[in-house]
Amino acid sequence: MGQRRVAITGLGLVSPYGGDLEDFFSRLIAGESAIHHLLTDDVPRPLSMPFVSCPAFDPDTALGKPLASMMDRFAQLGMAAAFAAWDNAGLSRGNESGTDSRERWGCAWGTALGGTLAYEKGYRELWQQGRERLSPLTVVLGMNNAANAHISIQLGLGGVSMSHTVACASSAVAIGEAFRRVRSGEASIMLTGGSDVPQAYGVARAWEALRVMAPGNAENAAFACRPFAADRRGLVLGEGGAALVLEDWAHAQARGARIHGEIIGYGTSCDHSHLVKPEVAGQIRALKDTLTDAGLTADEIDYVNAHGTATSEGDPIEIAALRCIFGDRASRLAVSATKSMHGHLLGAAAAIEAIITVLALREQTVPPTAHLQEIDPACAGVDHVTSARRQPLRAALSNSFAFGGSNAVLAFRAAMPETR
Amino acid sequence: MDSIGLIREFLEERLGVTPEGVVPAASLAELGVDSLMMLELIFEFEDRFGAKLSSGLATPKTVGEMVTLMDSLIAEQKS
Repeated sequence: MGQRRVAITGLGLVSPYGGDLEDFFSRLIAGESAIHHLLTDDVPRPLSMPFVSCPAFDPDTALGKPLASMMDRFAQLGMAAAFAAWDNAGLSRGNESGTDSRERWGCAWGTALGGTLAYEKGYRELWQQGRERLSPLTVVLGMNNAANAHISIQLGLGGVSMSHTVACASSAVAIGEAFRRVRSGEASIMLTGGSDVPQAYGVARAWEALRVMAPGNAENAAFACRPFAADRRGLVLGEGGAALVLEDWAHAQARGARIHGEIIGYGTSCDHSHLVKPEVAGQIRALKDTLTDAGLTADEIDYVNAHGTATSEGDPIEIAALRCIFGDRASRLAVSATKSMHGHLLGAAAAIEAIITVLALREQTVPPTAHLQEIDPACAGVDHVTSARRQPLRAALSNSFAFGGSNAVLAFRAAMPETR
Repeated sequence: MDSIGLIREFLEERLGVTPEGVVPAASLAELGVDSLMMLELIFEFEDRFGAKLSSGLATPKTVGEMVTLMDSLIAEQKS
């Protein structure tokens, strides 16, 4: 079976800005931050930190009560994003009968935390409220594969349904594995993406303890995340869900689907050296593998959506890896870190950034790294895009470099004009 | 609250079922109560009334059967 081209025919997300996909991208282009100051009512110590939430997301409205009540928030966000991507792809919901069998279509989903909130609720009930037992739904709400299981049921996908947990690279791996299955001809359609909800009390506190979280208050939270900046102070966590429909190119063309872009390469590696200290060599391996997989040279890449979390240690390493791969051309390579605006969605980060990368190629517009005024000399050497820019974009990479040293890179190409 | 009241409140809160439709003859499955929701409904009942449903009991099929089961357990509890 020959290799298939893989079209991206559906994009969907739960936007922290509250609007639709086009609204989401236009706000990124405008450099608008979705980061706000989160203040919870937890006693005795509330969470108080810059954060990205999806306050406009009402699961009962988005999914209907019966479905929403069977899900933890990470699965709700995932399901809503999946529905949006599916609708965007012009595919019907539910089990299809007839010629276009969905028995081999599948779902590959990324989540770092899964249903942590469901278990946290359990702990609160047992330890704080003195209850003796938990809701029988806790297991099915909390399991890491809850999102992909619900998605497969709702969309009638009879092929593989799996979840990938690779910290901040979770959904990059999910998308990459989905890509391989469509490219090989194993599945003509894969629904992929990721969702996460890091505002579980214990999770947010644990991240604080690592001393990598950007400080901020109600006045300045919006500018808290400043990747590559000399004055960067760390990352900002966020919740969200983002989904893509990957489809056999010929299948997409045959049904007249709109093709947003093409996914052409996927590469992975492990630093195999340290849990949280990233390494240039490992990132280079993932970048090189991706280019090889895509059949591209570095010269054909016009944009990189960076992992760029705004930690002191991570940002310079990523730029060093890019400089090594792109050589003399690095200084002309457009790079931006959109986490400056949508925050770090952990297991959903790569999915939302994949969507942004595809939209950048489709719209031929590079979204900026927001709040980047003074570039840290340690992060210099690439073309940091600090306000949106229209320019010809042939192909682009999206980087995800996770704790644990797991690296995953995705490569995308602009859809050819005749297919747009 | 009586048994039918609890069932109505539960189904409205969890599944968005209008209380008027929750009558004794109504099928629980048709109202959207699958095996998981049944476990959750029994859990809610046990919690509210401090009763314990034996796991060996036949699963009620209708709202009426569920009410009968719950009422008998509440009566047992009081005696």
